[in-house]
Amino acid sequence: MPVGLSVDGALGYPSPSRPFRPSRYVPVSAATAFLVGASTLFLCFTCPWLAERFSSSIPLYNVVVFLFTLANFCMATFMDPGIFPRAEEDEDKEDDFRAPLYKTVEVRGIQVRMKWCSTCRFYRPPRCSHCSVCDNCVEEFDHHCPWVNNCIGRRNYRYFFLFLLSLTTHIMNVFGFSLLYILHHTKHLDQVDSGVTMAVMCVSGLFFVPVAGLTGFHIVLVARGRTTNEQVTGKFRGGVNPFTHGCLKNIAHVLCGSQAPRYLGRLRKPHSVEVQPPFLRPPLSEAQLEAKAVDNGIQQSKSSLEIMESQSTDADPPPPPKPEHRYPGMPHTQNEECSLLTEAPPTPSLYKYRPSYSSPGKNHTASTHSSKMSRGNSMTESPSVPVTTGQPSYRSDPSLSSRGGAGCRGGGEGGKAGSGGLGGASTFGGRSYPSFTDTLLQSAAASCSSSLRSAHTAHNALGPLISEGTTSTSYKSLANQTRNGSLSYESLLTHSESPEFESAAHELSPPRPHPPHSLSTAAGAPPISGYTSPFLSAQQREGSLQACPAPLRPSPNRAFLRPTSSPPSRAPPLSPRARSLGSPPPGPAPGHTPLGKSLSYAGGAELQHRPSSSGGGTPMQNSTIKQNVANHNTPSHKPVGGVKKVTGVGGTTYGISV
Amino acid sequence: MAETHSLQDLRQAAVASKVFVQRDYTSGTICKFQIKFPAELESRIDKQQFEETIQTLNNLYAEAEKLGGRSYLEGCLACLTAYTIFLCMETHYEKVLKKIAKYIQEQNEKIYAPLGLLLTDPIERGLRVVEITIFEDRSIGSR
Repeated sequence: MPVGLSVDGALGYPSPSRPFRPSRYVPVSAATAFLVGASTLFLCFTCPWLAERFSSSIPLYNVVVFLFTLANFCMATFMDPGIFPRAEEDEDKEDDFRAPLYKTVEVRGIQVRMKWCSTCRFYRPPRCSHCSVCDNCVEEFDHHCPWVNNCIGRRNYRYFFLFLLSLTTHIMNVFGFSLLYILHHTKHLDQVDSGVTMAVMCVSGLFFVPVAGLTGFHIVLVARGRTTNEQVTGKFRGGVNPFTHGCLKNIAHVLCGSQAPRYLGRLRKPHSVEVQPPFLRPPLSEAQLEAKAVDNGIQQSKSSLEIMESQSTDADPPPPPKPEHRYPGMPHTQNEECSLLTEAPPTPSLYKYRPSYSSPGKNHTASTHSSKMSRGNSMTESPSVPVTTGQPSYRSDPSLSSRGGAGCRGGGEGGKAGSGGLGGASTFGGRSYPSFTDTLLQSAAASCSSSLRSAHTAHNALGPLISEGTTSTSYKSLANQTRNGSLSYESLLTHSESPEFESAAHELSPPRPHPPHSLSTAAGAPPISGYTSPFLSAQQREGSLQACPAPLRPSPNRAFLRPTSSPPSRAPPLSPRARSLGSPPPGPAPGHTPLGKSLSYAGGAELQHRPSSSGGGTPMQNSTIKQNVANHNTPSHKPVGGVKKVTGVGGTTYGISV
Repeated sequence: MAETHSLQDLRQAAVASKVFVQRDYTSGTICKFQIKFPAELESRIDKQQFEETIQTLNNLYAEAEKLGGRSYLEGCLACLTAYTIFLCMETHYEKVLKKIAKYIQEQNEKIYAPLGLLLTDPIERGLRVVEITIFEDRSIGSR
């Protein structure tokens, strides 16, 4: 069947064979039995009299409705809901161990988090979710329906919805006509026909209430452009749904959209094109030539860079990643909007950002498997970070913040715990991340500062838990982190996403030495009260935007490096600063376009490498070099004790005691 | 003989790396890929050409997902025939996917293969990424 049958993903490669569980088939068998059985009995016992007594169009009508119901039921049951095939290994190499658990993208002006799926090995697109029953990521996941024993997703939601509508209609028909029959046979209730009709009436009456309820629920969902998952996890509670196009368009999209293609079970055509050297090369533009010249001074040649960056490296440390690399799922770094997503505030709020940091380290290569583990483990991290239950973060994760923290995929346990807290903070910060529809730069700036602020707030509440759910959560994780100083350090090291800010934030977690004044004043900044969804409404963002102290620039790493509390000025190259601080990072390669991407990248890789480079004396090699924002190392690597001041975006200054 | 084989092997380029062009979700969940030019391709292909390819792909996907009279009629017909029409007829989306596959094949043959690149149809990756394979530019030719 061209539509793509996929029973339990049996036809699809992505679902490995699962043990046969007969209990899964009980509800669907019961539903089928009731539907077919009751309808057949009705058609056989009740309809003949109805045809005689009234008109033969009644049974015909009932047959049509029944067949329509059955057809939709079959489609909902057997159709592939939109299962994503598992990502292949080479795609995964881009998101290395230190890649963040979450990546943030802006969807129609609203920040949306994409979570890394450790089973399927990719960042789940917006509205995608992993079904634990089917063990697949499903596009536009609605829910897993036991009555059809299938996930309801993008491809079969229409059939499921029509099934509900037609089933409600069918039940009403059956009940109504059966009642009509009974009312005309009150004196012949002992007959078989009457008995059967009464039984059918009971069954239909019984099922009418839940089915009608579910139908009404889905009518509302369709009108609002939400999925069951989004509704149930409260993603848009108090927030704005970026996926809605208005009631009519939503309905049109469900009912009139073209049938989406299946991704599984497609014939993969082998490339018939032969690629053989020698290859042509496009003429280099002047700018490119210039960049190359500059690059050569700082890093390896462009070509080797490219190769190293694109590939997952085995032995040699890849050179500092170019900003474009770290991009998956995020807008360009070059654009203003990137800064929004890629910049991480220098305050502890960075933790919050970490999960939302989008660029997963493309190549970080190297390193350890810890990040990979942590990435997967982060899923289990949530229990450690309770709170946030109110916050439906993206998808099924109950706590945004914990996930956020978990975003830092690197590190071991402690790191994970810490990152959990951080993540929580990040999440929180992420929420307050302003969504901009107009000036991306402003928004970027605002987001940074707002996150900064929120982070700050979170951190300030270190002692007592903050009222905000997320902050408390992050706090708890931070507390966990603090208990194991080395762990926190480790987590700091392994945090992949945000650049220096995040690492700074980590370092700050144990003591919180110098909360930036600007932040503290801004701490009262619009709390995301009652906002549990990961989507920020424009208003909230606007609010934070206004409160934002200084416009942020896309060189957070630079600001970070600056060991003073002077306002972030984009300033001076990182390398000298880094060196002065005792760490070797080469700083962002001049050829690199900055920021966001490299930042996040740097954060991750750099952190991981921290332990390897002692005291910052060793030049960063490997992936750490890639992280141009090597300055992360600076704070964490500070060889001697004391407090190192780090300035982050927005003028926040942190004193990091090492 | 062995030499011939090795020469043949040498002629076939080795994969150097892969670039993944991610989806652009700024307009929602419609299928759209980022036009941003990946850094790895800077020295391999003209930025304009690359952007044109991606933009064309985006346009094709937009056409596939368009909510128009065509898709509506298709839906009605499917309903009326209890979806049995899917057994014989190809959906609008599938038709456009075929068009896209042809376009990618053509682009590969004409533009990308000579540059040592290869585009992979994103449908193979679940419409999540456009995979561009970069081949090693070995002008060794040790014949």
